Amino acid sequence: MSNPQVELHITGHGVVTIELDAEKAPKSTENFLSYVNKGHYNNTIFHRVIPGFMVQGGGFEPGMTQKDTAAPIENEAKNGLKNTKYTLAMARTSDPHSASAQFFINVADNGFLNHTAPSAQGWGYAVFGKVVKGTEIVDAIKGVKTGRKGFHDDVPLTDVVIEKAVAL
Amino acid sequence: MPHPDAPALPSVPAAFELPVPAEWQRIEFISDLHLQAGEPRTVAAWLDYLTHTTADAVFMLGDLFEVWIGDDVLDDAQSFEARCCERMRAIARHKALFFMQGNRDFLTGPTFAERSGCTWLSDPTAFEFAGQRYLLSHGDALCLDDTDYQRFRAMARTAAWQDAFLRQPIEARRAQARGMRDQSHSHQRAAMVYAELDRQASLDWLQAARATTLIHGHTHRPADHELAPGMRRIVLSDWDLDATPARAQVLRLDRLQGLQRLPWPCPAA
Repeated sequence: MSNPQVELHITGHGVVTIELDAEKAPKSTENFLSYVNKGHYNNTIFHRVIPGFMVQGGGFEPGMTQKDTAAPIENEAKNGLKNTKYTLAMARTSDPHSASAQFFINVADNGFLNHTAPSAQGWGYAVFGKVVKGTEIVDAIKGVKTGRKGFHDDVPLTDVVIEKAVAL
Repeated sequence: MPHPDAPALPSVPAAFELPVPAEWQRIEFISDLHLQAGEPRTVAAWLDYLTHTTADAVFMLGDLFEVWIGDDVLDDAQSFEARCCERMRAIARHKALFFMQGNRDFLTGPTFAERSGCTWLSDPTAFEFAGQRYLLSHGDALCLDDTDYQRFRAMARTAAWQDAFLRQPIEARRAQARGMRDQSHSHQRAAMVYAELDRQASLDWLQAARATTLIHGHTHRPADHELAPGMRRIVLSDWDLDATPARAQVLRLDRLQGLQRLPWPCPAA
């Protein structure tokens, strides 16, 4: 049984294909697919872009309206997967088990985000997939001009929109 | 890459030197409480801590408040901010309270300082205690990878930018601040991961201040980092009493016992 794949169709940029690690991150994979299949990611933006670090999306519509999410999921960061370049990880607050819909794509090797201990400080960010096609599109996204919108920093000045997310 | 013989980059700020009274035995550090009306349990824990701490001085190293839209929030004596200041001022009568701005509450001004009874701390501030030198910072200025934020920060800490921002009617500023939060959960925290502090810049700052230990917050990733032999960076925890498990931690610097991380409430002693 091969790992599930999802296409992110990004307006004006192209398609990024993600492979989800159902074996090592089963809950995050199931959670992500659930959001994909109910169309949650359609018309969301990459709202936080920091070159050399990560690009984050899946939570806000253009105009920075936050979309409702389902219940948070358990943090699977101790699955051994590392926050290396082009991996996908669940975004969350400082609460280890607060991830819901938002995710980020690492655009560098961010070892400091890896799990070190099951404590508030050591939990890390759960990697659940990787970009298998379209890394050049991720590179283009990380290079867009960003600025402050209201009280949000690092927001692309021109919206980077996920037109639709499709499970293959 | 600067030439190895080039003088220190202008981006290494001169640290403010804080004299420490010889009689102080214990100093404590907190940061990133993100106090807001919608999180009364965190506010209560903070006040409980300030009231009962055995420290001679408490240093609050930034993002004490989730947001600060201007000192004119204090015009209303019943506002959340005014009530916080009133409580701080009462505690400040018998305990030295120190306040450093963070990236969320950098618009605190002289009215806040006066009403809270806190002593202002520049970012960074250096001090000597029990024969060691320490450097204090919120930490956001050292996340150099976030160049967009650094550009904003340089601009937002100027009088010109702040005057322009504060000239907006208070309701307009409130609306912008409200836009930060999830409409359905008035106090929900943002799902944000922070870039890491730049190691070389942290070392440059320490060397410029002739200090060996940098204490900061901002990233919400409490840990001790050895930057180089004898040089370290200690990161404070954020506070959130609504989280599971709850987070509230104090860094204690004791003349005899050195540095310790303690949960709040602390077990006895």
